[in-house]
Amino acid sequence: MTAVVVDNVTKVFNQGRSDEVTALSDVELTVGDGEFVSLIGPSGCGKSTLLRLIADLIQPTTGSVTVAGKSADRARRDQDYGIAFQQAGLFEWRTVLRNVELPLELRGLKKSERKAKAEEMLALVGLADFAGHYPAQLSGGMQQRVAIARALAVQPPLLLMDEPFGALDEMTRERLQTELLGICAKTGTSTVFVTHSISEAVFLSTKVVVMSARPGRITAAIDVDLPARDEAARQSEKYFEHVTAVRQALRGVPAKSAT
Amino acid sequence: MKWVRNVLPPVLVGLAAIVAWELTVKLGRIAPFILPAPSAIWAELVEQKQNVWEAALASGTNALIGLAAGSIMGVLFAMAASRFRPLAEISIPFAAVISALPIIALAPILNNMFEATSSIPRRIVAAIIVFFPVFLNTLRGLREVNPIHQELMHTYAASGWTFARKVRLPGALPYVFTGLRQASSLAVIAAVVAEYFGGLQDGLGSRITSAASFTAYPRAWAFVVGACLLGLAFYLTTLLLERLAMPWRTRLIA
Repeated sequence: MTAVVVDNVTKVFNQGRSDEVTALSDVELTVGDGEFVSLIGPSGCGKSTLLRLIADLIQPTTGSVTVAGKSADRARRDQDYGIAFQQAGLFEWRTVLRNVELPLELRGLKKSERKAKAEEMLALVGLADFAGHYPAQLSGGMQQRVAIARALAVQPPLLLMDEPFGALDEMTRERLQTELLGICAKTGTSTVFVTHSISEAVFLSTKVVVMSARPGRITAAIDVDLPARDEAARQSEKYFEHVTAVRQALRGVPAKSAT
Repeated sequence: MKWVRNVLPPVLVGLAAIVAWELTVKLGRIAPFILPAPSAIWAELVEQKQNVWEAALASGTNALIGLAAGSIMGVLFAMAASRFRPLAEISIPFAAVISALPIIALAPILNNMFEATSSIPRRIVAAIIVFFPVFLNTLRGLREVNPIHQELMHTYAASGWTFARKVRLPGALPYVFTGLRQASSLAVIAAVVAEYFGGLQDGLGSRITSAASFTAYPRAWAFVVGACLLGLAFYLTTLLLERLAMPWRTRLIA
């Protein structure tokens, strides 16, 4: 079974009005089980829009989105995915621990179970000591790590991430990339990951999907085949080959007014 | 140290004002029957402390019941209005018009609607006055939801009620307390002033009017001081509640 199938999807905002925008045009995307797919491209290429379509936060104008063999709407209501956004979006009135507990709470887990699970997730992102803090007491990067712990807490079969590491410093970023790969490998989670960073896309992904703007469409899909994904891999020749390939694919796009 | 720096200046200014007041009256610039000296008011306050206390208790009870009833109604109506948009569109202009009316003017009418020994009119006046700041502030808070929170709860497939309980209400708390802070002082004013227009005469308002009509100005002022302390007690209690209800907010009195 495939985790995500995006079939011939077009998304038009403000249809029929003077400010009509075609955000996505004829997009086809398949994410296999356990695959890690990155969406990369210039601003305005519709990569976030595509992610939000998969999450059923918006609906396609034409075409269909299938998640875990069901309609995107059904999958959302079954909580078949976890999501992390660019901004942490923590609930400032809840402690860090209770923020991570929230999705578990809504699934009806017992108090002791969700506390144990949330503590495990906080340890994973290196914030075990901050469980009792309120979000306002944390730095932006730490808040983002809490948001990632929250997305992982339900151990979803599919993880949707919209530039979740964008606000982090390089060291934390690399550590969390490695952690994320470990979690995905261990749990068999499929991931759709939106990023601006070529190196991040290549290091994390089994497939890098390159998009271009106006109208948003997929211009290339590059399979990344690294023998291992550890610190040494970041220096390997194969890694740099893929980075170059992705960069060329991005340049090959007629860079009209790419910002 | 910081605490001292924050508290000391207003205390010093207050003391200086009282000393200046005392000297002005004592040096004969103002006749004592027009404006009594603070020392005379203080002496009267000490002498009347049992009466002041009992009157404050009566007015305080009325204010508290009015405050509680008005606040509960305000929050419930705001929740309903935020849930059903047409209700908000209808109720907000009404709320604006009615809150512009001097609600205290209702006191004489309400006093006549109930029997003379009833405390209900004063409590109703306090409740109505409390209702509007609480309603309008809460409604604003309930409407201002972080869009990311909205999307997140959408992805959790949370029901409308769960969303209201876990996101809208706690998010609106700072606004609710902004309303309550205004309302707590208003409730005391309403409970005291409503007595000027008749009804049961056991609170601070009636003591002030009766002392004034006997030209016992220091005694009238002693009861005014009692009303002032009562209003302060309400305000500070609201601040304390606010701090207890929102431990994630470290800065409060700002």
